[in-house]
Amino acid sequence: MRTRYFLALTTAVLLGSGMLVFANPPAGSGTISGKITYTGTAPKMKPIDMSKEPSCAKQHATPVMTENVATGPGNALAWVVVYVSAGDQGSSAPSQAVRYDQKGCQYIPHVLPLQISQQLQIYNDDQTSHNIHPLAKVNSEWNKSQPPGSPPIDTKYDKAEFIPVKCNIHPWMHGYFVVLNTSHYAVSGEDGSFSIKGLPPGKYTLTAWQEQYSQQTQDVTISGSETKTANFTFKVLPY
Amino acid sequence: MSKWFANGADRNLGSRARTLFTCALLILAAVICDCRAVSALPATKAMAIPAFARKYGLPCSACHTAWPELNNFGQVFRDNGYQLMNDRDSPIWQNPSYFPITFRITPNWHRESTSNQPVDSIPGDGTSATVSHNVTQAGFDLSGMDLWSAGTLYKNISFQLLPSSDPTAVWHFESAWVRFDNIKGSPWLNLKVGRFELDNLVSEKRFLFLSNNGGIYQIYHFNVPGSINDFGYGDNQIGVELMGHSANSYTRYSISLLSSNEGGVGLTNSVTPGGNPSSRSFDGNLAFSQAFNAGSWGLERVGAFAYIGQRPTFYQTSGGTQLVGLGNEPFYRVGFAGDFFFKNLELLPLFMHGHDNAYLGNGIASNSGPLPSTSRAPSFNGGFLEAHYYVSPQLVFLGRFEKINVGQQADIGNPGNFGNVTAYSVGYRYYPIMFSRAGLAWHNEYSISKSIGIVPLSGDGTGLPPLPLPNSQNVWSSSVFIGFDFDF
Amino acid sequence: MTLKKLAVTFALGSMALVTVGATSMRAQSHVNSPDVALGTPSVDSTESHIGAVTGHAAEGKKLYRRFCIGCHGPDGNGLGMNAAWIDPKPRDFTEATFKCRSTPTGTLPTDDDLYDAITRGFVTTNMPSWRPLTPQQRADLVAFVKTWSPRWAKEKSGTPLNIPAETPITIESILHGRQLFQKLECWKCHGPQGHGDGPSASTLTDSKDNPIRPYDFSSGSRFMCGVTNQDLYRIFMTGLDGSPMPSFADVVKPEEAWDLVHFLRTLQPLKSQEADLWQTYKAAHGADIKPIGPDAAAGGQ
Repeated sequence: MRTRYFLALTTAVLLGSGMLVFANPPAGSGTISGKITYTGTAPKMKPIDMSKEPSCAKQHATPVMTENVATGPGNALAWVVVYVSAGDQGSSAPSQAVRYDQKGCQYIPHVLPLQISQQLQIYNDDQTSHNIHPLAKVNSEWNKSQPPGSPPIDTKYDKAEFIPVKCNIHPWMHGYFVVLNTSHYAVSGEDGSFSIKGLPPGKYTLTAWQEQYSQQTQDVTISGSETKTANFTFKVLPY
Repeated sequence: MSKWFANGADRNLGSRARTLFTCALLILAAVICDCRAVSALPATKAMAIPAFARKYGLPCSACHTAWPELNNFGQVFRDNGYQLMNDRDSPIWQNPSYFPITFRITPNWHRESTSNQPVDSIPGDGTSATVSHNVTQAGFDLSGMDLWSAGTLYKNISFQLLPSSDPTAVWHFESAWVRFDNIKGSPWLNLKVGRFELDNLVSEKRFLFLSNNGGIYQIYHFNVPGSINDFGYGDNQIGVELMGHSANSYTRYSISLLSSNEGGVGLTNSVTPGGNPSSRSFDGNLAFSQAFNAGSWGLERVGAFAYIGQRPTFYQTSGGTQLVGLGNEPFYRVGFAGDFFFKNLELLPLFMHGHDNAYLGNGIASNSGPLPSTSRAPSFNGGFLEAHYYVSPQLVFLGRFEKINVGQQADIGNPGNFGNVTAYSVGYRYYPIMFSRAGLAWHNEYSISKSIGIVPLSGDGTGLPPLPLPNSQNVWSSSVFIGFDFDF
Repeated sequence: MTLKKLAVTFALGSMALVTVGATSMRAQSHVNSPDVALGTPSVDSTESHIGAVTGHAAEGKKLYRRFCIGCHGPDGNGLGMNAAWIDPKPRDFTEATFKCRSTPTGTLPTDDDLYDAITRGFVTTNMPSWRPLTPQQRADLVAFVKTWSPRWAKEKSGTPLNIPAETPITIESILHGRQLFQKLECWKCHGPQGHGDGPSASTLTDSKDNPIRPYDFSSGSRFMCGVTNQDLYRIFMTGLDGSPMPSFADVVKPEEAWDLVHFLRTLQPLKSQEADLWQTYKAAHGADIKPIGPDAAAGGQ
């Protein structure tokens, strides 16, 4: 009799959890987080001479540094985009626009990840004209002038690509649009850390991309609400 | 070259015939010696210039259907005074090591065979009887060389300088001129001064044949037997030319005023030493052509030409030495030509009618009183039909048929077909590289001509009139030519 | 050997040789060297339509090999054998980015835009005017050029810019154009007098990172994309894609754009109505004209 009772309870529990599983779509509560670091000697970032654009130069008490290899304490590497490149599930369509600013003759943020068909709004917050020139090869390359006080430029991209962005008037301005076909991405901060949330259980391939040192991949398996760690280390050269 | 022209005329003939034949020989010798060596290629064929390809970065095939023949894009470039008119023509845009010079030469193997030639029955014995025999020669050989420079001295002032040699490196100036292009900003006014090719729709300088019998247009050098006229429509002349063209060269005209000395220098009628003194008179050439866009077939061009000239029939002399030509008597050449494209097939027909004054046509001084009763003003009609088939920019097949009929003989005692010519040529050119820095073509050609009673225009064989006489004997002269035509 | 026998031998020998040669040629196009084949374009066949003429890519391919391959290369990517010695570099057709268009920035040009580019050529570059080719040949080349990029199969050409009728050439128009030249900061690259010597001019690079200079109005040379006022209008309204020159269509109103055109003409050393008006104005008001540049609050009066 106890056995039968036990069996019924087990079945009920199983059915119950099964119902839970099938009633809601995979909610994605897994997280992958980690740290991006480098080994070797990183190149020294150089101060940018903005004297040709006084209205920008005066916005910076000390000169801004170049950002192609942005490092932080503990050999951290910033501005690295980590994203799911294979095995992606549960990606959601973009719901909001992303914003890209030209401020102090710099691109804020330096690297902007966004999704395919996500609305992108580009603002000129400076007192000088900029021309916004994303050098796409797979998407269309275009080039527009944006004088101060103009409304934001509204655009989007429909193919995945790493797109360098430049301003021809101010040749020190460099940025990136990283157009991805997943919503599971993150950018490493100054401490090199990143965190991708909302992952349903599955086997994922993560790619970390840095503008100068290209890409690395890692496989991570999520099986529930766990937080898995994935660290990436880039070998850097002093130039 | 002297070995081809045996000593004097045939001893078996009467004196008049002898005079006629000697005159014919001398004329032919003069014509042939003027610009080419007899036993080798016509050397004057440099008109493909990799120096231009190097300057502008275009492949040879951009300007040439198959070099050296020009297509319409190349024709416009040439008409503009070797300028692309894109503000990049000045030599300052070029690498300092660029120099506008090209050379061209064709090492080859060739075989010449001529029928009905008078030879000694016992080889080596000049006193033995003369018999009729084929004369055949073959071997590896060189062509002459062209060392060509052309381009712009300044915006809208172009030039060309072409020293040319025979295979033994005897040099002459084939062409040398300066041209004032686009006068008053108009492509309709261009003035050229110097020694240059006439504005022939079908150019003998830029054509695709190289053998002794095929490397000349028969009709461009024909003179009725007996005539002392040395004119060749394909020969470069010396004088001035006013020429104009529409922006895309669909319409072209040319008016030239030339010395009556067959392009000779030093006030003689020859570019090499030993010519006769020239007279003080002028020749004129008119040429006009119009091209039509035939859609997917290509461009079709028709043209007409008229050359009116005169030649001296006797000389002012001192102690027998000739000083200046006198007794100028006229001649003319008129005709029409075409250049038709049917996609990859190009057809080039030409018809010409020629007429010489009776004194000129019989080699009689015009101050010697009335003409003999048998003398007439000679005339001829003839032409050719040439075909090119371009399999690709790097392979072209060639063929040509030529015919010349003497309409009126210089002496009514001559048979009606005396001097008539029929000729055929076939061949192909394969360009293994189509490179902007240099050019190379593998050239194969077979050409055969039949002349009646005269030495063939190629001058092959013994250079003597055929056996047996009288002057209605066919002479077949054939050339087989295999060579590597290259220019740099 | 008789003449006849020789002729027959020669003919047979030649035919044999030609067959061998032609067979090996069918396998590969002997361009540059015997081993380089014409690359495979991305899209199989396209047509072009220019007026009443329809161009075909198959015909255009043969013409491309004859005329274009030396610079634009057997793969259509601007890496022809001569490209290394040419500046500016030949167009890379695989990117479908073209300078001279009537369509907005980032969009494909129309067939007419490509046809006009081939016909006109590009002054101060190695691209000649191909007007001596027949219209059919040029249309065939347009059709073939489009086969080098997959974008032509998936995207339609942009909508050509609507150019309103030119406004009258008056000194007010020129002065307003001068204000625009100051406000839009054209002088940053083109220089205050349009000499191509603005503060940013020396660091300009095109989209392939080759150094490039801005147009120097004082040279009086023809524009890359034409010679008329309409052509000039189009240049700054559509931008020259692939180069630093951006599109100003979002920031200049169509009627105002004519004012800028009229002012730009005064920077050129050519006889024009605009130049005459400007000279007269300068003679009368010369002292009052503020120079263009970073210190001017607004250019002109």
